[in-house]
Amino acid sequence: MARCPHTAPNPDPVTSIVDVVSPEFTAHPQPVFVRVLEQFRVAKTIAIGSPILSRYEDVVWALRHPEIFSSEMHVLIGLGTERPMIPQQIDPPAQTRFRKILDLRFSRARVLEIEPEVRRHANELIDAFVGRGECEFDHAFAIPLPCRAFLGFMGLPQEDLDLFLELKNGIIRPPVNPLDLEAAKAYRTKTAKRIYAYFEQLIEERAARPRDDMMTYFTQVELDGRTLERTEILDICFLFLLGGLDTVTATLGCSVAYLAAHPEQRQSLVQEPALIPAAVEELLRWETPVMLIPRLTTQEVTVGDVTIPAGELVNLLVGAADIDEAEFKDALRVDFSRERNRHIAFGAGPHRCLGSHLARMELRVALEEWHHRIPEYAIAPGATPRVSPGIREVMHLPLVWPVGGAA
Amino acid sequence: MKVRVDGTKCEGHGRCYDLAPEMYGEDERGHCRVKHEHVPEGLEAQARLGAENCPEDAIEIDED
Repeated sequence: MARCPHTAPNPDPVTSIVDVVSPEFTAHPQPVFVRVLEQFRVAKTIAIGSPILSRYEDVVWALRHPEIFSSEMHVLIGLGTERPMIPQQIDPPAQTRFRKILDLRFSRARVLEIEPEVRRHANELIDAFVGRGECEFDHAFAIPLPCRAFLGFMGLPQEDLDLFLELKNGIIRPPVNPLDLEAAKAYRTKTAKRIYAYFEQLIEERAARPRDDMMTYFTQVELDGRTLERTEILDICFLFLLGGLDTVTATLGCSVAYLAAHPEQRQSLVQEPALIPAAVEELLRWETPVMLIPRLTTQEVTVGDVTIPAGELVNLLVGAADIDEAEFKDALRVDFSRERNRHIAFGAGPHRCLGSHLARMELRVALEEWHHRIPEYAIAPGATPRVSPGIREVMHLPLVWPVGGAA
Repeated sequence: MKVRVDGTKCEGHGRCYDLAPEMYGEDERGHCRVKHEHVPEGLEAQARLGAENCPEDAIEIDED
């Protein structure tokens, strides 16, 4: 049996206070996180009563121990995939071998190669609405920018943008009654087949006519002295489609919604753009758009005085960990000059987000270009940003800014 | 002052080489590569900044 080495007590392990899908919570989860951190070592979700770890040191410990907290749970997660997504839903040592060949393509150096292209995409999107003095940020900017960046990074045609968004949404937010789980499952399974077919065709094309791009790399790279199986390439591509778009969209929305509501801090970025990289990190910490990471216990594990059985779904509340006073000085203050910021918005341990360097570059470039072109903006009078459950996408974020003589 | 990175702990977050580029670089996978095992005079603050921002506690600093 495993035991967490940290000794903090758990005052009341049985009370349940976290309703992870309520709209109040997803819009402003921080007050709930504070309550969880203050009251529990191991809390529980309201819906299914599965345990929640929220303290920074506990969450990091769990993330660094995949042999206890496994990611091999694709059936339970139920995204319509026929196999685990690679490398997210497999554990070391197999996961480590895939990461070695994938990390090479996702290093900071690789990512910086497409920075000028991403900057151009950001400006083209802004060109389309800047003169109007208003936009709905999610649809006008936060959704298309990461998708364009991703298509470019993969070497795929920009014309596929709408198709990509449709396929991604078909898995993440199937257009059926949310209470009809069977319909959602059927829609996901149908969409997954289309995703496999799309990438399968690309594999064949690149195998026949190699190019200098990611898909060609997958058809040629060797792992343990052999080329990748066709299914392995599909399982990697599936993850890229799901992981590469929504997460950056959500972070852009959360970050700009925050800045729109905090004019002084927004102004500081306009006057001193060199602050933007630190602001990206601090907003990742404060907002942590992927606020919850699920794991499955492989064995009985004791955290504090709570014993979690083997085979249990455990919720790692990274959003709470990122505002834990035990790790972050003045944790509830959003401070762009924070010197020490070991946030885990990209996770930690061997499953650290593969796309974190790409995401950081996209976020930095987006905030730089946005504040250069649209320095003064606010949430439209009377509007309330709406934030989705799960990954915290700000699905409705109407912004306004002065145009023409008003500026 | 000496610095070393524990390659078994580093997961390639890249905070060290983002924040302290004169002290830390990246290998081809994006994992940390310490540029100066013995910290040159004037780079002590950079060395500490990189270590303090590592989410994996992978960078060890020997202040002697």
